[in-house]
Amino acid sequence: MALFGYSLKERQTRELLALGVIRFLGGSFLAVMGALVVYLVYRGGSAISWDFLTEYPRDSMTAGGIWPAIVGTFGLAAGSMLVAIPLGFGAAIYLAEYARPGPLLTVIRLGVNNLAGVPSVVFGLFGLAVFVSFLGFGRSLLSGCLTLGVLTLPTVTAAAEEALRQTPASFREAALALGANRWQAIRQVVLPAALPGMLTGAILALGRAAGETAPIIFTASAALTLNAPESVFSEVMALPTHIFNLATNGAHIAATRPQQFGACLTLIVLVLGLSLFALIIRARLRKGRKW
Amino acid sequence: MVAGGPIIEARDVDFYYGAFHALKGVSLDVAAKETTALIGPSGCGKSTFLKLLNRMNDFVPGARLSGEIKVAGRSIYGSDSDPVSIRRLVGMVFQRPNPFPKSIYDNICYGPRLIGARKKADLDVLVEKALKAAALWDDVKDKLTKSALDLSGGQQQRVCIARALALSPEILLMDEPTSALDPIATAKVEEWIKEADLSIVIVTHNMQQAARVSEHTAFFYLGELVEFGPTMEIFTRPRERRTENYITGRFG
Repeated sequence: MALFGYSLKERQTRELLALGVIRFLGGSFLAVMGALVVYLVYRGGSAISWDFLTEYPRDSMTAGGIWPAIVGTFGLAAGSMLVAIPLGFGAAIYLAEYARPGPLLTVIRLGVNNLAGVPSVVFGLFGLAVFVSFLGFGRSLLSGCLTLGVLTLPTVTAAAEEALRQTPASFREAALALGANRWQAIRQVVLPAALPGMLTGAILALGRAAGETAPIIFTASAALTLNAPESVFSEVMALPTHIFNLATNGAHIAATRPQQFGACLTLIVLVLGLSLFALIIRARLRKGRKW
Repeated sequence: MVAGGPIIEARDVDFYYGAFHALKGVSLDVAAKETTALIGPSGCGKSTFLKLLNRMNDFVPGARLSGEIKVAGRSIYGSDSDPVSIRRLVGMVFQRPNPFPKSIYDNICYGPRLIGARKKADLDVLVEKALKAAALWDDVKDKLTKSALDLSGGQQQRVCIARALALSPEILLMDEPTSALDPIATAKVEEWIKEADLSIVIVTHNMQQAARVSEHTAFFYLGELVEFGPTMEIFTRPRERRTENYITGRFG
């Protein structure tokens, strides 16, 4: 009996309708993602070989491999995290634990979140102006790491702050009530509990740093290097810029097609691998830390 | 401090959260080695008063206090008093069991390690003593390295008690320590309170509990200390009408 207008049958129909829409949307997403991966494997898979991964490019990039670009991407991603994690976690601890709630804190938080949405090319120009020119680091691994570090800093900070806020207040209280001072409570109790969540943000940032193109065009990347980077002041190749260069700049764009797709596939697998590695670390930290 | 005299003396304590006047002119002496219960309806100020005794209200923005509170003869809100050392003298057990996500052993050692206890042999002795004092030793002696979070709620709360006892505090504050526990676990914690050779101040919503465990009872209402006296008298011959109404269940 329909007491309030909707019969049981109507409600069941609505439920099925909602389920159908959600399934369709979820399925479409998976289909698009799947198609992308299948296409990349189809076009790039044949280019992948041991030599492709371990050799320098040859013959105007139509042959040889992408080894220097892989090394450069690893260096840039790792280096950017060396910049973003200490600064981001430090800022997050300040915002979540020490800063007094008020308008200033709201403005800072708004700023952090908005910075996360600034187009990466803007960070690239910032890096060019500050690190490459003003500080004189030149176009180098160092400038690239700093630029990517600044680019990922807002993501790392916002995620870490959120993780710290979600740590139960009762942990802090317990530590303080046992005579810990604030920093002891944070370092010994709050941070270990929040660390897996804080790393989640860093994982996302790491993937982004590995895949960004625009910021390193200005600050770090060379079209071609024929040696391993000698120092942090060396220019490096990187996978995203290598793909960009092959697809837009070369004299043999069509001839390098397999190289382009091979590099794309490598980049995706690399980002996936980095994320997986970070996920494993996080899972290990999480052990026995449920509450 | 005179033997048998008060271990806590509160004089004319007024306390504000911003504009809210949470405690109004509270004066109260807590006797050493006894259990004092603080009762009253929600929002009456009993928990606020409890948290003043180890300065846990320091972190509340806009909090303001006037009057004086002395613990073991020393003013704890004086300009020379240090909240960290006060909290080592005045332990606290919270409403919900809040063990750290660490092993039972490391939970108990947290306080002693803060003041520099490092030797394994010393810590082993401390852990055993604290767990025995909290009547938990027999339950957990074979799983000290297991996470404290794997224990039952009642056992977790006794870990928290043991953790506080490991610092050998003079006073233990308990903020509704059994409200998240089942009746059997509650009985065990109450048993412990009755046996404990320690000054205890306990906030409780449960009047039977106050009657069972305490020697003195203080009734708070709307930020005032309405009545304070031996528990027997408060529950059998209250002087104040408001006390009588509350303990007979007319409001609360």
